[in-house]
Amino acid sequence: MKTFTISGRCIASPPPADWREQLTQMLGAKPRRIGTWAELGLYGALRCMADAGEKTLPPQAQIWLGSRRGTYAATDIVLEQLREDLPMPMAFLQTQPSQLLALLAAQTDWKGHACFVAGAEPLALLRLAAAQAGKDGVLLGWLDEMDGGMSNWLRLRPCADAAGGFHVAPAEALFSTQISHLRLVNTGVEVKPVA
Amino acid sequence: MKPVYLAGRGLACALGLDVKTSVAALRQGGVSTSSYSLPGALGGSFPYHAIPFPRNDWNERARTLVLGVATEAGAQLIRSGVLFIATSSFDIGGVEQGTAQMDYSAFSNKIAAWLDWSGPVYVINTACTSSLNALIAAQALLNAGEAEDALVLGIELDNQPTMGGFASLQLLSSGSSKPFGANRDGLVLGEAVSALRLSTHESAQWQMLGGANVVDGSQPTGASATAVVSMYQRALEASCLTADAIDLIKVQAAGSPGNDAVEAQGLRAAFPKMPSLVSLKAAMGHTMGASGAAEIALLTACLEQGVWPEYEAVADAELGVELAASVPDRVRHVLATILGFGGSHASVVLERT
Repeated sequence: MKTFTISGRCIASPPPADWREQLTQMLGAKPRRIGTWAELGLYGALRCMADAGEKTLPPQAQIWLGSRRGTYAATDIVLEQLREDLPMPMAFLQTQPSQLLALLAAQTDWKGHACFVAGAEPLALLRLAAAQAGKDGVLLGWLDEMDGGMSNWLRLRPCADAAGGFHVAPAEALFSTQISHLRLVNTGVEVKPVA
Repeated sequence: MKPVYLAGRGLACALGLDVKTSVAALRQGGVSTSSYSLPGALGGSFPYHAIPFPRNDWNERARTLVLGVATEAGAQLIRSGVLFIATSSFDIGGVEQGTAQMDYSAFSNKIAAWLDWSGPVYVINTACTSSLNALIAAQALLNAGEAEDALVLGIELDNQPTMGGFASLQLLSSGSSKPFGANRDGLVLGEAVSALRLSTHESAQWQMLGGANVVDGSQPTGASATAVVSMYQRALEASCLTADAIDLIKVQAAGSPGNDAVEAQGLRAAFPKMPSLVSLKAAMGHTMGASGAAEIALLTACLEQGVWPEYEAVADAELGVELAASVPDRVRHVLATILGFGGSHASVVLERT
C-alpha cells in the first residue's frame, strides 16, 4: 500500500481557451513542429510542476503518461502523406507518444525514467507508477487532444505520515482538486480530502 | 523482494517462427534479407528482415504469430497474470488495410482475446525501448508481490508508416546492418513478435535482476553518451552489481553511424574493463518495440546452446570497442540494452542461475 501526497496538479479538462498562449509564455517561445498532442502535454506538465514549485524534477523522480487516444491525429496525417510520398520526418516523430517525454525532459533539463502507457485507465497507470516510484515520486499525466482535449497532471510524492481521513473513491477522483493525498489499495484507490 | 525468473520465452522473427528454428538458422549463418519498397523521392527499395510467414490479412497474421510465441513461452499457464504488450506501432498495419481502428483499447482487447487472457493488460510504448520498459515494469509489479506471473509480449509487424518514417529520417541502410562496423550506413528494420514469461514461483535458468530507463531529450532520434552511462549505472545499481560483474553486454549497435559511436563512447566510460559484446541486429534486424524481448529470447537460447552470430562487417577501430567473435567462456551476468527514439535508453540485467 503506497500513499502519496499531491504536491502539485494541473486539471485541464478541457484546457482553458488561452492554453497555447500560456504555454508560449512558459516556454519563452512558441513551440515549433511538435504537434498539438505534445503541446497540450507540455502545457499541463509544466503547469503542474509550477504548482508544485518545481522547475525541474529530481533525478530519481519518474514521469508516467497515459492516454486513451494518444497521437491518433498525427498518425492520420502520416497515413495521408504516405499515399503519395514518404511522411515528413517531423510528422512521423509526432506519431510517437513518447516524444512528449523527451520534449518534457529537454524543457526541464532533466534525465530519468519516463514511460507512456496506452489506453489504460488512470488508476492502472497509477498502479504501474507506484510499483516503480522511489523517494522522489512521480509526475503522472493523463492526456488526450480529442473530444475537447484533456491535460490532467499530478505531482505525487511518497508520504509516510499521512494520518487517517482516507475514504474509498472512484477512479475519477484522482484528478479532483479536492483531495490532498491518495493511496492505492487492493480494490482501488482511497483519497484524503483537502483539510 | 521476490526474485523474478525468466520462466519461458517465445520468438518469431526473420530467423524463424520459434526460438529453436531461429537459433538453428543463426547457427547456419543467418538468413538473407527481403526487400521493402517505399514511394517518393527518398523512397525506393530497402533491405528488411521479414518474418517468414505469408503477409495477407494483418490481424490474422498477427493472431497466428502472437499465439505461437505466447504458447512457446507458456502463456497458457498464467492467463490470470499480468500481460504487458510492448509496441511502437500497435496495429497500424491493420489500420492501413482497413481491418483495424486506431483505438488503443480495441488493440489491447483484441490481443487479450486472442490469448484468452483474464488478468490485467498494459500497453507500453516508449518507441524502440518498449519491451525493455515493459520488462522493468513487470519486474516491479512482481517484486512488489502484486502478481506472481507476467507475460511481456513485444509486437512489431510490417507497416508502411514505420518504414516510411525511418526512411524519411534517412536512418535506413541501403545494404546491410553493420554493428560497430567501419562502413556502417544505417539501420535495417525487421519484424518480431516475442514473448518473455516472468515468474516469482517458477525458478529457471535466468533471473532478471533489475533494469533502468533514462530519457534524455537532447536528441529526439538519437542517443546521448551521458544518458548511456547513466543508464548503465542505474541498471547496475538496481541489480546490486558493479560494472566488473558484467560478463556480456548485448549492445544496441544497429549500424547507425552516429548512435553506434555514442554507444561505444558510453561503453568505454562506464566499463573500464570491457565485458564481451554481442549484437543481434545483423541477424534479425532492428525490431523496434519488440527488440528488447526478442533479442533476450534469442540471446539466452544462444548462450545455452553455444551459438553465436557472425559479423561480416569490418570493425570500426576508431570506436575502441569490438564485438566478441565467439561465445564467451563464462557468462553469468548479461546486460541487455536498447536505445531508441524519444531519447530513450534502457537496459536490463539478467543472471544465469
